[in-house]
Amino acid sequence: MPSDDTKKRARSAKEKTAPYGSDLDLDKYEYSPSKSGDLESIDDLSEKDRALVREVGFDPAQERVSGSFIQFDNETLLADVLLQQKGLEVLPTNLALQKYDWLHDYLWNAVPVDTDKYTARSELEEYNGYFIRAAAGARIEMPVQSCLILKKNRFVQNVHNIVIAEEGSELHVITGCATPSNVEHSLHLGVTEFYVKKKARLTFTMVHRWSEKTDVRPRTATLVEDNGTFISSYAILSSPKSIQAFPKVRLIGTGAKADLYSVVYGSRKSKYDIGGSLSLEATKSSGKVISRSIATDECEIIARGDLVGLSSETKGRLECDGLLVSNSAVIRAVPMLAARAEGTELSHEATIGKVGAEQLSYLMSRGLDEEEATSLIIRGFVKLKVPDLPPTLQKSIDDTIRMSLEGGM
Amino acid sequence: MVVISMDNNPLLETRDLRVEVSGIPILVGVDLAFRAGQVYAILGPNASGKSTLAKTIMGLPEYRITGGDILFNGTSIQNKSITERARMGIAYAFQTPPRISGVKLDDFICRVCPDYQCTDVHDALMGETCVCKQILYDDFERLGIRNLANRDLNDGFSGGESKRSELFQVLSMRPKIMFLDEPDSGLDYDSLKTVGRELKAIKEKHDVTLVIISHHRYILEFLEVDAVYILQRGRLVYTGDMSDIPVLEEKGYEKFLAEMTG
Repeated sequence: MPSDDTKKRARSAKEKTAPYGSDLDLDKYEYSPSKSGDLESIDDLSEKDRALVREVGFDPAQERVSGSFIQFDNETLLADVLLQQKGLEVLPTNLALQKYDWLHDYLWNAVPVDTDKYTARSELEEYNGYFIRAAAGARIEMPVQSCLILKKNRFVQNVHNIVIAEEGSELHVITGCATPSNVEHSLHLGVTEFYVKKKARLTFTMVHRWSEKTDVRPRTATLVEDNGTFISSYAILSSPKSIQAFPKVRLIGTGAKADLYSVVYGSRKSKYDIGGSLSLEATKSSGKVISRSIATDECEIIARGDLVGLSSETKGRLECDGLLVSNSAVIRAVPMLAARAEGTELSHEATIGKVGAEQLSYLMSRGLDEEEATSLIIRGFVKLKVPDLPPTLQKSIDDTIRMSLEGGM
Repeated sequence: MVVISMDNNPLLETRDLRVEVSGIPILVGVDLAFRAGQVYAILGPNASGKSTLAKTIMGLPEYRITGGDILFNGTSIQNKSITERARMGIAYAFQTPPRISGVKLDDFICRVCPDYQCTDVHDALMGETCVCKQILYDDFERLGIRNLANRDLNDGFSGGESKRSELFQVLSMRPKIMFLDEPDSGLDYDSLKTVGRELKAIKEKHDVTLVIISHHRYILEFLEVDAVYILQRGRLVYTGDMSDIPVLEEKGYEKFLAEMTG
């Protein structure tokens, strides 16, 4: 059970506004108890729901996956490990907390419960989410797919995920989050804590497709131990009302490594405040934060990157590229570099611009019209190339981005 | 009486063409004609307006026409977009092509060139292989740029690789007239021979007009160009043939032009 202390800390942070993103009034939403689902298999999903989960890269046929998890609102519908995946566990967080007493030590460990009012509220209301764990030494080559769907109006989807890659394991997780387009005034509160143990390797691929009246406040943090590797790729392709996310990775073991990639395709009047933070706490740790933003219509994108060098022989890099496709849109790149130890090497590069006239002329001289040329440049720009990602995952990202662009352009 | 057959009409001509870039006049009245199936060399000292001429004909927006006209098959193309000009059969190989990230050279060629066209362009764009690729790769091999096939367009290509990739692209478009802006600069001897052979093969088909902007004798002699135009300070100052090239190389532009044009 969560300690009284946790609840106390949560209550103390109940009014604590977040440093970034627009402030939301958390009392105007409806909260509801989390439920464990009654879906026996994915085959019982309605055709409509199947289409919805497919849009965020979830494969209802479960080909080439090692496990699946589906949650609608606060109801877990399915948590399933496919046969012969030794060493893999996929459970609703609630059940996992009942099953494993030790798991309470992981809860609110990477993400402090009193980070802000969103983490506080998440703790104070009932939550669910997924617990995914690869046992020590287990190599789970096929990804675990999960999706979190928010369907109700004026409702908070309160998710707390915990992912653990135990020592020497390999684990790939894909998460798709979506709201059907008719959902109004709802909030996705998503806490995710990743634990990458010694020499483990965890890749996390997330695709977001929120409706234009949904606010989204994920709170994510990762701890990476000695020689562990964490690779996160995140694509947000629809236009929620607002989204503010600033995942933090702490490299706490020697030689730990983390790369964070993100692509934002901003449209309508949406406000995006997206970033990534790397804290290089152990010697020889290294990582990159790479973001690509495309701003169309009247959207506003703030792309933050934060590197903190706290130990020697560490290396961090920020790359932030923005493409502005509309005169009414704004992109702001905010790089932050802080070196607090000798022998840390931090660098950043930020470029923001319109579709280059020279690029357009070039493509048009090869027979493309202006619209085709612009679209090709944008498609090329959003292509999220993540080195070392298993080909099936890369394909899944490519397909999802392609689908979204076809819908949006 | 002089009888002019249709074949004698130029495919493309400029009449008193005046062009400025950022308000600075670069071409100050150029009259030139290019006939179908012929090979032309455009020569001239640095900053004489050679590249400007080609880029203006292609329709690049920063090259503003302030007077005169460009005719393609006898019709003005001044108001045509770059795309329309490209689709009419005008091609320009860029000297320093811009990088287009996320777009692979092979997929791009498949998209723009009818001969390699995939049945599903989307699949091709997202990196899936399609049946047409083998011919494409054979052709890449021939030009010695097989290694570029899977790279992003112009991303970190060396000078010589760029030249060959540009040549490959414009050739694949099957144009009626192509302007090659220094196709031989930055090439090593082997690549120079490859490019030369490729251009020679085109010449021998007699169905494309080749216009080569160059400073170098090798490729022009190898191709046995039909006519040589020399530009100086934004004007056409001399029209000659192959036999002028060695003399020009020996004497340099200043002396050559002084003697020839008095």
